[in-house]
This record gives sequence, C-alpha cells and structure tokens, in this order.
Amino acid sequence: MKTRQLVWSLPLVALAAVVVMQSGARAQSKPVSVPDITGSWERHGAGPGARAGGPRDATIPPPAPQPQLKPQYAKEWQDRIMAGRAADAKGEPLATNYTDCLPDGMPTMMGAMFPMEILQSRGQVTIIEEAFTQVRRILMDKPQKSFEDVEPGFYGHSVGRWDGDTLVVDTIGIKETVRFQNMPHSPQMRIKERMKLVSPNVLWNEITIEDPVVFEKPHTYTVAYRRMPDYTLLEYICEDNREYADDKGRQKIRIN
Amino acid sequence: MIVATEVTMTSRRPAWVGGVLSLVMLMAANAAAHHSFAVFDHTRTLTIRGTVTRFQWTNPHGFLEMDVPQPDGSTKHYSVELTSINMMQRVGWRSNMIKAGDKVSAVVAPLLSGEPVGLGLEVTMADGTTKALPVPNVGSFKRATETQ
Repeated sequence: MKTRQLVWSLPLVALAAVVVMQSGARAQSKPVSVPDITGSWERHGAGPGARAGGPRDATIPPPAPQPQLKPQYAKEWQDRIMAGRAADAKGEPLATNYTDCLPDGMPTMMGAMFPMEILQSRGQVTIIEEAFTQVRRILMDKPQKSFEDVEPGFYGHSVGRWDGDTLVVDTIGIKETVRFQNMPHSPQMRIKERMKLVSPNVLWNEITIEDPVVFEKPHTYTVAYRRMPDYTLLEYICEDNREYADDKGRQKIRIN
Repeated sequence: MIVATEVTMTSRRPAWVGGVLSLVMLMAANAAAHHSFAVFDHTRTLTIRGTVTRFQWTNPHGFLEMDVPQPDGSTKHYSVELTSINMMQRVGWRSNMIKAGDKVSAVVAPLLSGEPVGLGLEVTMADGTTKALPVPNVGSFKRATETQ
C-alpha cells in the first residue's frame, strides 16, 4: 500500500519541482517590478492640431524647446534649413537620406513616424520601427563602451537599466550623416532616454541629446506613445524607390 | 471624350503668409512623411481617367500605372504615386482593390516639371467607389474643380 502511494506521488513531486524551477527562472529573467511595455505603440499627441482647443490632455507632453547650438553650428543649421525651404518653394526639394531610402536612425526613429514595437526579453529590450524596419537593441545592465570602441552607425550602441519604473537608456556611436531635424552633431553625441508609463497605455520617452562640441547645453524633449493592442507591425521593404538625387543634390523622380 | 482636364488655380498671398505656411508645412511634413512632396503642384489638381496597366503594391510608395486616352486618339501613360503601402493598409487599402485592365479615375497633384506623374489624392475604382489616399497634410493641396 505504501509502495503504491509512493509510486503515485513521485510524478506529482517531479511536476511540482518543474513548476517551482520554471517560476524561478521566470522571476529571474523578468522581475515582477519591471513594467510591461512589450507590444505595439504609435505616436501620441503629435501632428497638426494635436494640442489645439479643449482642455489640455495631461498625457500629451509639452512641445520641444528650441535646441541651443553653439554659434558656428547654429549658423550652419539655420543656413541648411533656409536652403531647404527655398528649394521647397521652388519645387526642387533637396535630397535627404530618405531620397535614398535610408532609415531615420537615432534619435529620429523614436519619433515613431510609423508604429513601433517594443520587445522585452532576457538581457535585452528591442525596439522595432515599422518604417524601414529599423531595429535597435538595448543591452540591459551592461556597461556602456567608450566612444573609440563603437563604430558609427544609424542606431548606435545602446545600454539600458531599470531605474524603478523607468527604463534608462544610453546610446552612442551615431554617424554624422544621421541627423535629427537636420542638426549637425559630432562623434561625441550621446543620447539619453528615460521611458516611463504615465498611464497604463501611454508611454513617455524623455530624450536628451548631449554633444559638448555642437550644443551649448543638452537638448531635452519628450515624445509619447500610446498602445495599439490589436496591431501587428507590417513589413517595410524599399522595393521600388523611384526617387534619386540629381547631380545638384535635388530630389527627383524617375519616370517609368 | 475628355480624359484629362487641368484647371489651374492661381492665388497670390503676401510673402509672410507663405513663409509661415511653409514653416507649418515643413513641421507637419517632418512629423508624418518621409519624402518631400514639394515636387508636386500644390495649387491645382488634375483628374485623369484611363485603364490601369499596373497597381504596384510597393514601398517606399505604391504606384498606380495608367494608360490615359487623349483627345487626339493617342494614349499617354501616367504614373500616379501613392503613399507608403503601410499607411494605405492602415486606412483600409488592399492590394487586390485595383487590377490591370480596370477603368479608374484619379485625382492627382501633378509634378511641377510637367512630366506625366502625379501624387494620388483619391482614386475612383471600377465599381464607382472613391477612396482617398492617406497623404500627410493633404489640405495643403488645393483642389481644382474638374470641368468637362
């Protein structure tokens, strides 16, 4: 009788052990205190008229301040903006990275022109922007590298950690040709982000761009995203780009 | 049979209004579009009717290729540039909505250069239903009234 009881209880003990081990592993990889920001998100509170009229929506961040560039860079930036405007007015827009179907890169991609997906996995938070299928990997709880050890790219080298309920991310290594709002920057640019849920379905990202060469002081602005519970990101391939830059750097369309 | 009708609308605004408008447009465009639409005429639209040779479901932009019969009996080929198919899909467009051979009409903002390309603002399909394209800041394109 005792033997039979033992035989019956063995699988139960084994099952219980597996359950305990699995829940232990789950607790290790993702502590319960970390906010769940996995899923699809779209830009919240941007675009014309987003803040016009009605009582202020507290989940919409304030408008970005004017970036403070050092005089020589401010002049270059202003000249570039004015040249762009003059070219647009003539109907001959200047070619940009988009003309060649190149992705936004950092930090422009965090403006989420198209929906964005955040994935939390062990040791990494991955952010995918639908437009151009841009992917950035945030390595969690790893030390940041030195500028010299990171090759320049579109998304840079990102490390992150949870500071309570806030995901804090540090990014370096952005190519000088990858520009935010057409602003120049040096290889010493550093992008700091603080992502936090301000309501169950609205995530704020406070972005600070530091560049001791170009900026008088760090430029901080906040973008907000709202959850898209039923949305799956679509693919985006530059399959037939008919735009090109002509020999004068103007954006043209290939005629078929 | 009139197959392509152009109505030119001209308006003169004080220069500062244009400056403010272009700044606003620039900001709006930055928020929602990859590519500059400054190559297209913002002061008039063209309605073209013809036969679809291809409905091209691609990024960075879709295209509606059309053969448009001309008053003199010849045929002119037009390319109607659409938005990103991702934006189109999010507002209900599908790749099977238009097929080669369909008789359709499209309201386009023509290229300023005069070449036979226009930015599609809306398309009336073979079954008579009209569907708009999700063009960012579409209000900046002045609609001309078609006259036949």
